[in-house]
Amino acid sequence: MKLVARLLNEMLAAGVIADYALFGAVAQMRYTEPVATLDADVLVAVQAPERLDVLAPIYQFCAGKGYSPEGEAVRVGAWPVQFVPLFSELTREALAQADTADFEGVSLRVVRADYLAVIALSVGRAKDFARILALLESGSVSPDGIAALAARHGLSDAWRRFRTRFLND
Amino acid sequence: MTDTRELFECQAAWQAGRRQLSWPEKVRMAEAIRESLVRLRNTRPIDPKTDSAERLKAAPRSPSQS
Repeated sequence: MKLVARLLNEMLAAGVIADYALFGAVAQMRYTEPVATLDADVLVAVQAPERLDVLAPIYQFCAGKGYSPEGEAVRVGAWPVQFVPLFSELTREALAQADTADFEGVSLRVVRADYLAVIALSVGRAKDFARILALLESGSVSPDGIAALAARHGLSDAWRRFRTRFLND
Repeated sequence: MTDTRELFECQAAWQAGRRQLSWPEKVRMAEAIRESLVRLRNTRPIDPKTDSAERLKAAPRSPSQS
């Protein structure tokens, strides 16, 4: 993951991307116990979001560093890294509010727990619900905190359904 | 029944303990879990409709990529 952090910081410094933050399972692990995951997901703000091949500059930069595409990801050391362009106002805000963490001496931007939970709520697969429960159990987010953020992004109904189904209240 | 309850309590305590590890340590553990996950996934029968992307992700690495 240190290799991934270095690559992302270099990409940022070179102006290939405007910003980035890890999200998904690897980000979740800052707060919860380790979880099984196949890849590392990275939210990216690209310089030219109107391009059809929006990820092409990222892939070119990675190729120049010796990292090749592998399926929908780019293999960086042990991790296939999946670059995900911002896809909603929620992800735009999550990126803007991301923490800068220290990963063994290398800075690494990471989406905060509350945004991880609400992004998971917006996606809504079984594993996303498990992520919300794990974050709640870790105490890194509160039901009220999720409710407030969900309401700001039009996800109050989804949150209500989640509470009814999983929190017994 | 009591044995089962104790077993679950031990497991819960162990899981809670793992939550306290540093983030890099947890990521290293996930890397180790990932290798097993990849091997397990590669034993599944192929369903071309749903599995192509997942199987590409799970493709075994060549030695030069490790």
